[in-house]
Amino acid sequence: MNTLALKSIVADSPPRGRALGAYLTETQYELTRMIRNPNVAVPVLVLPCGLYALFALLIAGEAIDKDPNVGIFLFAAFSIMAVTMPALFGTGVTLALERDMGLLRLKRAQPAPPAAWVVAKIVSGLVLAVLAYVPIVVLALATGKLSLAPGQVAALSAALMVGTIPFCAMGLMIGSLVSGTAAPAYANLIYLPGCYLSGMFFPLPQSMYWQAPIWPQFHVEQFAMHLAGITKYQFEPLQMAIASMLGYTVLFAGITIWRLKQRG
Amino acid sequence: MNKQISPENRLHALDAVRGFALLLGVAFHAALSFMPGWPPGIWAMNDNSPSQFLSDAAFVTHIFRMSLFFFIAGYFGRLLYQKLGARSFWSNRLKRILVPLVAGWVVLFPLIAFIWTVGITKVFGGTTPPMPEMPKVPGAFPLTHLWFLYQLLLIYVAVIAVRSIVARLDTAQRLRCIVDAAVVGSIRTFAAVFTLGLPLAAALMSLSFWFYWQGIPTPDQSLIPQIPASVGFGTAFVFGWLVHRSSGALTAITQRWFQHLVFAVIGTAWLLHTLHAQPMAQPGLTKTLFALVFGVSLWGWVLGLTGAALRFLSNYSAVRRYVADASYWIYLAHLPVVAAFQVWVGHWPLHWSVKYPLILVASFVVLFLSYHYLVRPTFIGQLLNGRKHPRKPLPPGSTPSPTSPPPADTSNGGPVAQLRGITKRFGAVTALNSIDIEVRRGELLAVLGPNGAGKSTAISLWLGLIEPDAGAVTLLGGDPQDIGRRRGLGVMMQDVELPKELKVRELVRLAASYYDDPMSVEETLRRAGIEHLANRAYGKLSGGQKRQAQFAIAICGRPQVLFLDEPTVGLDVQAREALWTSVRRMLADGCSVVLTTHYLEEAEALADRIAVVTKGRVIASGSVDDMRALVARRQISCESQLTLAEVRAWPGVVDAQRTQERLSITATDAEGVVRRLLAADTTLVRLEVRQAGLNEAFNELTREAA
Repeated sequence: MNTLALKSIVADSPPRGRALGAYLTETQYELTRMIRNPNVAVPVLVLPCGLYALFALLIAGEAIDKDPNVGIFLFAAFSIMAVTMPALFGTGVTLALERDMGLLRLKRAQPAPPAAWVVAKIVSGLVLAVLAYVPIVVLALATGKLSLAPGQVAALSAALMVGTIPFCAMGLMIGSLVSGTAAPAYANLIYLPGCYLSGMFFPLPQSMYWQAPIWPQFHVEQFAMHLAGITKYQFEPLQMAIASMLGYTVLFAGITIWRLKQRG
Repeated sequence: MNKQISPENRLHALDAVRGFALLLGVAFHAALSFMPGWPPGIWAMNDNSPSQFLSDAAFVTHIFRMSLFFFIAGYFGRLLYQKLGARSFWSNRLKRILVPLVAGWVVLFPLIAFIWTVGITKVFGGTTPPMPEMPKVPGAFPLTHLWFLYQLLLIYVAVIAVRSIVARLDTAQRLRCIVDAAVVGSIRTFAAVFTLGLPLAAALMSLSFWFYWQGIPTPDQSLIPQIPASVGFGTAFVFGWLVHRSSGALTAITQRWFQHLVFAVIGTAWLLHTLHAQPMAQPGLTKTLFALVFGVSLWGWVLGLTGAALRFLSNYSAVRRYVADASYWIYLAHLPVVAAFQVWVGHWPLHWSVKYPLILVASFVVLFLSYHYLVRPTFIGQLLNGRKHPRKPLPPGSTPSPTSPPPADTSNGGPVAQLRGITKRFGAVTALNSIDIEVRRGELLAVLGPNGAGKSTAISLWLGLIEPDAGAVTLLGGDPQDIGRRRGLGVMMQDVELPKELKVRELVRLAASYYDDPMSVEETLRRAGIEHLANRAYGKLSGGQKRQAQFAIAICGRPQVLFLDEPTVGLDVQAREALWTSVRRMLADGCSVVLTTHYLEEAEALADRIAVVTKGRVIASGSVDDMRALVARRQISCESQLTLAEVRAWPGVVDAQRTQERLSITATDAEGVVRRLLAADTTLVRLEVRQAGLNEAFNELTREAA
């Protein structure tokens, strides 16, 4: 091979189609892995829908019929759970495992586009979130436990999808900080208290209002309530919800980048 | 014990303190739109999310920030006066202080006035109230935040006048010796922290209207010197001047940094407590106490922070140097920028905890950018800091832009990968020590060495995973961090597990997607000899099969350089032979290979050249034959009655060992030793002489290096 040929290999950027191909292939196989790994897929896909069926249909069914707001509240709670769990666990636990495996080092050494695995993880998290969310919304609409106009349901769904992004970032942060065996424990440790203390599952007593904004779940819920125009459950301005979600995303992503730069 | 700090390093620390005091001023002003209970019109903006926390924080910083500045200014004032003499001192001060004061005011005042008008109009909902008029007293003048330059000039005049009087009276320096001793003693015994604030306290007590929060009333409305400011900042300046005079004073401040900060914190806590109970001073005990404790807190902060900086920041740091240089410009220019952001965000429905950092970050970005591009390389930087910096200083050893590096000529046997003068440390461990290795086109370089020798570190450098502490790494004629270069490499690393859920075919396809012109998946699998594994999940493969799959991934992109880190660990004989065949085929296609291995026969079977690495250094390199020749030793073995001691004494014998009847001799002059053996022992049988294998050569070399 002569110098000219070498120059063309090292200096030229790859054909655009090829770079896009790397992103698509990476994402495709990331999803394949998630679907083939029942340890991640089953709890993430089945748990929120099962819990929603239990609470909204069996336990609180009559209360919802009396006050449709209860139905909206429960639907919001379990659908937030459905979309944020795959975002958090799907990205965080797999990233931690891959760091343990040395896979991230290999990808850095190979000419993998630097952002390809991040994009792949986030897209997979979103797809899994959709897969977990669809059964809940179908169940809610089919049983008449969600009394919202179609436009409101669409806005709520869109808000929930956007709401997965801070949790993807949180997952990446956990995955970059702790080992693969510890990652599920830490993810739960951060995630579960937030579900309760954010007032997502049950209304908080007034004395605990002050701490609700600490939890990202609270802001995702507020964002969803604003977009769906459900005034009864709006506790903070829309701008604050957006700013907080953005702030958490930047914070978590910043910690991830800092950590990966240090340790690889 | 404190280590001795060189005078130059002390200046680094004090420069950092001055920069800190100035930047703190930016943070202070950025908080002023959030003050709870301030009537509209006092500041450019009254934010809709006031903050008690910011009010308290602003009060605390305002206790000491300007006094800290004047204290350091006093220290540097005397330093400059001693260095330049009176005439040059004044010319220097006029350029650095008076010119920025006048020019800055002319430019900044209209800007500030404009932003204030916009802000106050916004505060009053669109109707501009009549602007507060300047007090109708002689000397009234809106100095704005540039008052500190004016005050500094006044203090220079006063102090240098006093200095010349003292110098004339105290010709024997007796008075000054007493003062020097008193300065050091007062710092050591903490007398300074309790007494330096007394003149200021007296001046504050005499004020008929004193808002505790404002501390020393800012003298920004008049050209006539104000008593509390002149006394307070004058004391700070003079004490800084005296600290420069007396030789032990900085050491004493360094030693007492913690205690001084403790006084500061305790005093400040009490001040805050009192401030919350009663914001406006009433004549009486509380006012007296507040003034006294204010003085103690102020000096606790000044001496504590200066001491802490001397203790912890007395080394050169390029970042701190830059920030310290930038701080003067930033403080001069900050007020319109900060106020503009305050006005802009003032009515946003966001919490102050979001808005305040936003104002601060945005202001610093604007100010630092303006410094970097408009000030540092221009005459303004020359004026403010005394020197102009070239716009783009290239740090030594920096590489040119990685986007289009000129590729080196690597055709026909030129190096495709090089380490030149590389040193790499991990904490206290030196993994590589001034190492030079190169890989030529189309050759296989085997890197041999015991565990921890630095082999994998060398590979990681070539892969762009780590950067060297010193030296240059090149891959295909450029920086390995450049992803374009890495498209020319293939890699098989140690201790890597691939995703167990994916099939071998999928893994190869994924890796191939990173390259421009990869082989087909089938071709890759065939070359690696694992077509039969194509549809098996990686998690279901044996250890050896996993290594083969990893090899397939390494070669799928038609690499020009292939890095194989211990590739045959865990392979059975058959699989190893197959992998060797694949490697030879890559070589035949013109690919260069770097192989690290423990298996010496692997190096003998494949390598064109060998580099032996031990303890981070290349102790030998050359062809396999070169290596053998380098240690031209042969193994002689026989059954003989001769004693070890006798044989070891012969010339040409390096070592001798006995296992039962059999004597093993390592010799540099095999023929001579054999002749002597046969002569000395006629009963000798089963004589055998052989060339030392690479194994012995390698052991020999590493032992010598150790």
